[in-house]
Amino acid sequence: MTATTRPGFKARSDAALANSTLKTAIDRTAERKRAAALARFAEYEAARSRGSAIKDHVIANLDHYLEMFERNATASGAKVHWAATEAEACDIVIRLCREAGAKRVTRSKSMLGEEIGLPDALGSAGIERVETDLAEHIIQLAGEHPSHIIWPAMHRTREQVAELFNADHKPPPADDEAASMVQSARHVLREKFLSAGVGISGANFLIADTGATCTVTNEGNAELTTTPPRLHIVTAGIEKLVPSTSHAMALLRLLVRAATGSELTQYTTFHCGPKRPGDADGPQEMHIVLVDNGRSEMIANEFRDMLRCIRCGACMNHCVVYRQIGGHAYGGTYPGPMGAVLTPVFDGLAPSRDLPFACTMNGRCAEVCPVEIPLPMLLRSWRGRSWRAGLESEPMRTGLVAWAGLARRPSLYRMASGIGVRALRLLGRSGWIGSLPFAAGWTRHRDLPSPTGGTFMERYKAERGKRPEDRR
Amino acid sequence: MRTRDSILSAIRAGLGGSRNDPAAIAAEAAELLAAPETIRPPLVAATRVDAFCEKVEALGVTLDRIGSIGEVPASVRRYLEDQRLSAEIAVESAALFRDLDWGEIRPRLAVAPDALAAVGLARHGIAESGSLVIHSCKETRILLALLPLHHIVVLRAANIVSHLEDYAALLVGHETSPRNAVLITGPSGTTDIEGSYVRGAHGPGFVHVILVVDA
Amino acid sequence: MTDASRPRVGLFVTCLVDAMRPEIGFAAIRLLEDAGCDVEVPTRQTCCGQPAYNSGDDVSTAAVARQVIAAFEPFDHLIVPSGSCAGTIQHGYPALLASDAEWGPRAARLAEKTHEIISYLVDIRNYTPGRLRLEGSATYHDSCAGLRELGIHDQPRRLLATVDSLEMRPLDGENVCCGFGGMFCVKYPAISNAIVDEKADAVERSGADMLLAGDLGCLMNMAGKLNRRGSKVRCFHTIEILAGGGDGPAIGEKS
Repeated sequence: MTATTRPGFKARSDAALANSTLKTAIDRTAERKRAAALARFAEYEAARSRGSAIKDHVIANLDHYLEMFERNATASGAKVHWAATEAEACDIVIRLCREAGAKRVTRSKSMLGEEIGLPDALGSAGIERVETDLAEHIIQLAGEHPSHIIWPAMHRTREQVAELFNADHKPPPADDEAASMVQSARHVLREKFLSAGVGISGANFLIADTGATCTVTNEGNAELTTTPPRLHIVTAGIEKLVPSTSHAMALLRLLVRAATGSELTQYTTFHCGPKRPGDADGPQEMHIVLVDNGRSEMIANEFRDMLRCIRCGACMNHCVVYRQIGGHAYGGTYPGPMGAVLTPVFDGLAPSRDLPFACTMNGRCAEVCPVEIPLPMLLRSWRGRSWRAGLESEPMRTGLVAWAGLARRPSLYRMASGIGVRALRLLGRSGWIGSLPFAAGWTRHRDLPSPTGGTFMERYKAERGKRPEDRR
Repeated sequence: MRTRDSILSAIRAGLGGSRNDPAAIAAEAAELLAAPETIRPPLVAATRVDAFCEKVEALGVTLDRIGSIGEVPASVRRYLEDQRLSAEIAVESAALFRDLDWGEIRPRLAVAPDALAAVGLARHGIAESGSLVIHSCKETRILLALLPLHHIVVLRAANIVSHLEDYAALLVGHETSPRNAVLITGPSGTTDIEGSYVRGAHGPGFVHVILVVDA
Repeated sequence: MTDASRPRVGLFVTCLVDAMRPEIGFAAIRLLEDAGCDVEVPTRQTCCGQPAYNSGDDVSTAAVARQVIAAFEPFDHLIVPSGSCAGTIQHGYPALLASDAEWGPRAARLAEKTHEIISYLVDIRNYTPGRLRLEGSATYHDSCAGLRELGIHDQPRRLLATVDSLEMRPLDGENVCCGFGGMFCVKYPAISNAIVDEKADAVERSGADMLLAGDLGCLMNMAGKLNRRGSKVRCFHTIEILAGGGDGPAIGEKS
């Protein structure tokens, strides 16, 4: 990656804005979801504080809970692996697949899997990867990455999905209605579920006191992915720990409501070790890969609050910027506000420094976050780092420093603003200014109202002289 | 082990300062579960059974209340006839089902990849959410709950617990705590195409509960 | 405090009001005096420092913050006709200066007595405007900082409801950002434009004659977009209407 992706983000977001199909796709999903947005209950605010306290407690004792989890998962018969980086994590998964002699693996949607680049790594290793989540199946056919963490194919209209299915599914779906296409995918994927040698899932929670991993899906694809193959491999970030199943339940209430507006996912499954003697079905081996990938560093810096994130996607659903440009424009694994905080952690700030700035600071993301992550504050922290690292463009830096110098000298500031106001008045005699070279970003799209007269300070000074009752 | 240790020491370095002992951590974790009624919705009806039934039906699950296990085959038959489904279906090998008189229903143990219907047994119901809980074991194939288009689930009303935490408590330190515990909350569904809801994504498109309210 | 019933308040005009629309500042003085306050406008004020704050230049922001604190700490209250600037003073300054032994506590004390004007009038002064009449219909946009950082929602609606003949119409997505975002709108003009375009759609759909809001930045953004689209919707700061200025020129109209 180049040192600056400024044109990268701009170019991507411009392309996204010019793509009216993308906007249609996002709007169609958003409209349908609006009614259901964030189902709350009377106790929601208390539940939310408790949920974030649970996550804070886990992070504050993360070493303790990781060891407890490892102990209990091992006791259940699972094998626990540790990966410091995405490359290490992929290597472990691929080695396990190879040792199992697996030609085909099924995968149940996991954003951690995307984060570590597992889909591509499996491809390079020559292992056939079958994405089983419907949206992941769609983007696999399209050769794309997810554009949303809950609806990975949110950027595609049903007509575009139909094109992909018509080309790939034998027989093709009956028509381009969602129901027919879901039916078609069910049929196509069914046989693949049952013939895979390895099933890979993520984990929404890692339960420390039982050693279980928890997956949530609405389609039932996680169970179909993890049950038939000989091996079940879990890849999970180390921040997914919770002390017990009850703690997971408290967070589940928040996660599902914030993600889809439902009260609970259709399938909420706790996986505790491999098949036991006599069990009617289940994998012979269970492997859990615990992935750090920058998380342990976040514990010590100003982004620690981000480790509370339970990946519900509410912040992007409610983000005005995301709603306009979609997820791909962000250029990282995770889009939207949470992605703008996380991508610089994974990719470094220099190549992704546009992301913390591509935000209006309207605070809606923090308002809807079920675990109270102060996302705008975290984005502001990145802005601070960006400034201190000198990543801002030179004109921007000089301009801002000059402005700040003026702002600290009130009489000089008054003189300058008086001159500025008079100049703008000359340009905007009609009341509006339609074009202003040094504010082209503004006037390309909207008019600038002309100042109504002299500055407030000038007029106030003049008027105060006229007021006999003035006490000063 | 080197990676493991370096991750753990990075975490410890990040956390710094004095650390709580395991007992203090456990106490704090328990405190985070205190007064559960203040952080969860109340049941939607006065009794667990009524609340469960209301929730289940709101999820688009059909329900038949019967008075004893002996009535299960008749209830299954009614559902199969209503849905015009073949009487040749997969039935879980639960001890509870073995001695029943299935009549013209021809139960099979194997569930085909494209099975139309199967009868299974839920360990528990959860009144808060209308969830059915399936545990993997010798008798229960997890796939039986996932592969068929119609999943017929027998549940004893006495096994309905109130809230999610009440079920979670059953998993703690239990000798028979299962490998797989699946909470099924309504039929399989997806909103992945333009957000429009379609049932029967990968799992069953139809879930039918036979609730045994015996004394 | 000289007289408990007559607080001495310092008006923080804001840099945008100072330069672009002083009428809002005068409306603020009128309302505050009407609500029984002695209003002063300290001359050692310029801007709250938000452009630097949002750009990550914490050093410059802190310097501006110290200047604002020094200028306004003698007053019983600091009053601002902007939720966004009030939010910076109430939340930004204390956070930014938290580790400063001298200025941290001073920032916290000033934050305590800083108020956005409409919430001050309603929540602290229990103010009801005198008899006001304005023919027409209006819709109200909740500016983000006021709504989320300060919890301003009911107060402006309550005051506007007292205006005779003014029909208040609902606005779709009233709590959705207008796409201004300070520097954001010039750094990412295309995205900002797409957002404000949707806002303008919603404003026009409301069928209201007027658009009201509590922050001049958002208002300039929305008014500028509406005008570019050829819309006839007139835009005012809420306090201009409450101070009886609804018959005067709206934003962008010639005086």
